[in-house]
Amino acid sequence: MAPDPDLTASVAAVRALFGAAACSCALVDAQGSSLTYVAADGEGAAEIVGVVLPVGRGIAGWAVMSGQPIAVRDVRADPRFARDVAEATHYVPTSLLAAPLFDDEGEALGVLSVLDPGVEESSEWTLAVLGTLASQVAALVCAVRRAPAAAQTSRLEALARRVLEATQDYHR
Amino acid sequence: MSVLPAWSSAFVDGDLAAVRSLPLADAREWAFGGSTGVGVAVAVIDSGVDHDHPRVGAVTSAVALEVSDEDPAGYVVVHGRHDDVVGHGTACAGIIRALAPDAQIHSIRVLGPQLKGRGLLFHAGIEYAVEHGMAVVNLSLSSKSEAMFGPLHDVADAAYFGRTLLVCAANNQPGPTYPSQYASVVSVAARPGQDPWSLAYNPRPPVEFGACGIDVDVAWSGGGSIVATGNSFAAPHVAGMAAVLLAKHPGLTPFQVKSVLQAVSDNAERTV
Repeated sequence: MAPDPDLTASVAAVRALFGAAACSCALVDAQGSSLTYVAADGEGAAEIVGVVLPVGRGIAGWAVMSGQPIAVRDVRADPRFARDVAEATHYVPTSLLAAPLFDDEGEALGVLSVLDPGVEESSEWTLAVLGTLASQVAALVCAVRRAPAAAQTSRLEALARRVLEATQDYHR
Repeated sequence: MSVLPAWSSAFVDGDLAAVRSLPLADAREWAFGGSTGVGVAVAVIDSGVDHDHPRVGAVTSAVALEVSDEDPAGYVVVHGRHDDVVGHGTACAGIIRALAPDAQIHSIRVLGPQLKGRGLLFHAGIEYAVEHGMAVVNLSLSSKSEAMFGPLHDVADAAYFGRTLLVCAANNQPGPTYPSQYASVVSVAARPGQDPWSLAYNPRPPVEFGACGIDVDVAWSGGGSIVATGNSFAAPHVAGMAAVLLAKHPGLTPFQVKSVLQAVSDNAERTV
């Protein structure tokens, strides 16, 4: 499948902000049973887009099920880690952050994952910032679903561009 | 460090108002001292419990409630050993076992592999626990459905009057969920800290108790363990404490258990 261009811009911005090896976004299907990776940037991005996983698998799935952002310092020691999926992308991370996306009703509609962030993953700041970005992405995914007009899409693009610019400024 | 689940902020030290204890020289010693929860029946209504997990030990009984179009009730009760389809129920059972090593653990599986379940099965699971005389029921799950408000309220009342204590995790997201919102249950949110016996009482409901549930090491399916955060892992700490209390003081009613839990809370002021 072709990656979602707007979400790809958003995950690229998130990856840049965290100085991470990769960042991806997966969305939950209508039945709430599977996650489809719709956008990614960085290591393994081309391979992960289009992958469909049961919500019950992987650390990203756990974030969706529990409704909690999560930071895992060593994914290889965590039984929730979907190692086979990572290996299929030819990039197996060491650490991972994941934050659920919620719709207006509080239902999980997806997850934002950050692989091998260049920031301290155990800091309170890290998950708080990722959670904030996830809520912004979720709000725009909801808006596009409600009114999939060009205007909404351009808002998403504008947001992604602003985040990316802010990130580049920060790293300069 | 994890992000605090919803409702947890009330339990951050410094924000907690002092509450009254009971006129006991040492309320914790009176409540828990020397007890291992022996013989107290604790049900875990969840995704199942891994029978072979070393941190869980013996599982006294197990049933799985499954949707059935053929049955007039809409579900069937499947007796016998079952797997934990996620690991979540095993995590809860392991926490209860750590605090109450001699309690009986009964698994009532109502959740599927996405930690999702039908309201019908959730309600039926609580009803099953009440009808089978469970002393304590751990509910690290809840329903957001307004349609379930009435039926869950009724079965929570049946539990209350039948002396079955429902220990309910608040949802990790803001907003009302049931039965954790009802006054008849012991509602729990996660509180920072690694002491499994820590407990705080929130005088500003709806969530009354705070217990260990941030970055806790818990059992998981497949014999392993994970570090996890959530109100789900705070509730079984309180369920374990309730089991220990009820083993030492059999026959306490749910409102008496709640009073004692308040009295042993870290923010309770001694009155003698």
